[in-house]
Amino acid sequence: MPALPPHLAMISLEFFLQQCLIGVTNGALIALVAMGYSMVYGIIGLINFAHGDLIMLGACLALSLVGASGLVDAGPTATWWGVVLLLLACGLFCGTLNMAVDRFIYKPLRNASKLAPLVSAIGVSFIFMNVGLFWLGPADRSFPELVPPTNLFSGDTLQFTYQDLLVVVVVVLLMVALSVLVRSTRLGRAMRAVSQDPTAAALVGVDVDRVIAATFFIGGALGGAASVIYSLYIKTIGFQMGFQNGLYAFTAAVLGGIGSIPGAVVGGLVIGLVRSLASAYVGERWTGAIVFAILIVILVFRPEGLLGRRTREKV
Amino acid sequence: MPLLEVCDLEAGYGPIRAVQGVSLDVIEGEIVAIIGANGAGKTTLLLAISGVVATRKGTVRFMGQSITGMPSHEIVRLGIGHAPEGRRIFPRLSVRENLELGAFCRTDRGAIVRDIEEICSLFPVLGQRMSQMGGTLSGGEQQMLALGRAMLSRPKLLLLDEPSLGLAPIVVSKIFEVIAGFTARGIAVVLVEQNARAALKLASRGWVLETGRVSLFANAETLASDPRVRDAYLGDA
Ligand SMILES: Nc1ncnc2c1ncn2[C@@H]1O[C@H](COP(=O)(O)OP(=O)(O)O)[C@@H](O)[C@H]1O
Ligand SMILES: [Mg+2]
Repeated sequence: MPALPPHLAMISLEFFLQQCLIGVTNGALIALVAMGYSMVYGIIGLINFAHGDLIMLGACLALSLVGASGLVDAGPTATWWGVVLLLLACGLFCGTLNMAVDRFIYKPLRNASKLAPLVSAIGVSFIFMNVGLFWLGPADRSFPELVPPTNLFSGDTLQFTYQDLLVVVVVVLLMVALSVLVRSTRLGRAMRAVSQDPTAAALVGVDVDRVIAATFFIGGALGGAASVIYSLYIKTIGFQMGFQNGLYAFTAAVLGGIGSIPGAVVGGLVIGLVRSLASAYVGERWTGAIVFAILIVILVFRPEGLLGRRTREKV
Repeated sequence: MPLLEVCDLEAGYGPIRAVQGVSLDVIEGEIVAIIGANGAGKTTLLLAISGVVATRKGTVRFMGQSITGMPSHEIVRLGIGHAPEGRRIFPRLSVRENLELGAFCRTDRGAIVRDIEEICSLFPVLGQRMSQMGGTLSGGEQQMLALGRAMLSRPKLLLLDEPSLGLAPIVVSKIFEVIAGFTARGIAVVLVEQNARAALKLASRGWVLETGRVSLFANAETLASDPRVRDAYLGDA
C-alpha cells in the first residue's frame, strides 16, 4: 500500500485509529485520577482540590526512588519488578498522605459548612505544590525511560508501545480491583452505605470515620499508582503538573457523573479521545476549548453527567 | 438492675435545647412508650441514647455500663438497635444488602443467613423483593425493612422512632404485631409514637415528653386513662 502524501495523511484510517489509541491510553490515565475525585466526592461530598497535587508528590517520590535505586541501569526483569515496587511505594505514600490530610484537616470540619473543607482543600493543594517545588525545583524534570518504547505492532503504521500497554494494563487491573472491592466486600458495602446515609450506617454499627479514612486511603493510593504511570508515560514531571492534570480528571469525573466510579472511567475515556482527536484534527491549542465546550454542552442536557443519578431519592 | 438507665439527659443542636433533663429506665424484655407532640424532643432523645447526637449533660447506662459519649457503632455492638425516624433505609442498596448491613457487627455468617430467612418469613413481602433496590419499596415495605435491619444486629434493646408514621392501617397493625412479638424474643423496646393509643396498648409503662422535659410518667393503663393524655394525645374530646 503506497503511503499517502503528507497533506492527506490526516484522512487515512490508520491515522484515525492511531489517534484513538493515543486517546484511549491518555483517557485511561485520566480515568485513574478521576476515580480519586469521584470516590472522595461520593463519600463526603468534597471536591478534593488537592488530588492532582497529591499525584504530583507521588511523582516526586517516584523520581527520588528511581534515582536512589539505580533502577535505570537494571536489566528488563529487574525493571518490571522495579515498576511494581514503585507502584506499591507511591500508592502507599499517596494513600497515607491523603488519609492523613482527611484526619487532620477535613475531619475536624465534618460538621462545618461545605465551603470550609473546600477552601481547606484549595489550601492543601497550594501546600503540596510548595512541597513539590522544594522537592523538584522550579524547572520541569525528565523522568528516566524505564519501560522501553518498543512498538507492539509490526510495521509502523500503528504505534502502541510497552509504555502504552503498561498504562492500559495497570488501569484496567486497578479498576477491576476497585469495582470488586466496592461491590462485593464488607468494606465496599460499608462505603456505599456511608455515601447514601452516614447516620443510618452508624446506626447499624459501621464506624463511619474509619470508612471515610479507608476511602481517602484507597482514592489516594489510586492517585499514587497514577503518579507512577504518568511519570513513566509522559516522562516529564514538574511541581505544577497537578493543576492541569487534576483539572482534566475532575472534568472527567463531572462529565461521567461525579460520585460514580464507572462514570469516572467513561468520562476519562471521552476526554482522552476528544483531546487526542481535537489536537490531531483541529490543532493542539484548541483542545482545551473543545474539551470544555463539549463538557458544557453535555452538562446542559445531562446536568448529572453521563452515568450520574438523575434525581435524589425521595426520603 | 434496669437494662437501660437514662439519667438527667440533656442534648440539642447548637442553641436549641431539644432534650432537657430527661430520665427514664427500661427493664429487660419490657416495652416502654414515649409519646409527645411534634418537636417535643423524642427523636433527639433516641439519637442521644444511640450516640448520634452528643449528650451535653447526664448519663446513659446500658447493662450497668456507661455508654455516655460512646461512638454509635460501639453502642450498636453492645446491643442497642435503632430503627430511626423516616426509616432511612439505604435507597441504592438491594433489600438483601440492607439486611446484611443490619448484621454488620456480626461475624456468625451461618446464623446471619438464618436470621435473614426468619425476617423474610416474618415479612414475606421482603423475601419477594430481595434483589430490588431499597428506594423502590413502598413506605410500608421500607418500614418492614428498617425493622428487619435493626433486628439483625440481635439487639437486647430496640429504639423504634415512629414506626407507624404515614402507613396504611393494615400495615400499621402488622408492624405493631411484630413489635408485640419482640418481648417473646427477649428484646426490650423503646417505642416512640404519634399513635399514642396503639403504643400505650403495647407498652407496660410510658413517658410523656413536652418541650424536652418529661411531663408525665406512669403505667401504660394509667396514662391511657389520664385526662391530660386523652385530651392531648388520644384525640378524645
Ligand atoms: N438537626 C436538627 N437541627 C436543629 N434543630 C433540630 C434538629 N432536629 C430537631 N431539631 C429541633 O429539636 C427539637 C426537638 O426535635 P425532635 O427531637 O425531632 O422532636 P420529636 O421527635 O419529638 O418531634 C425541635 O425543636 C426541632 O425543631
Ligand atoms: Mg421525631
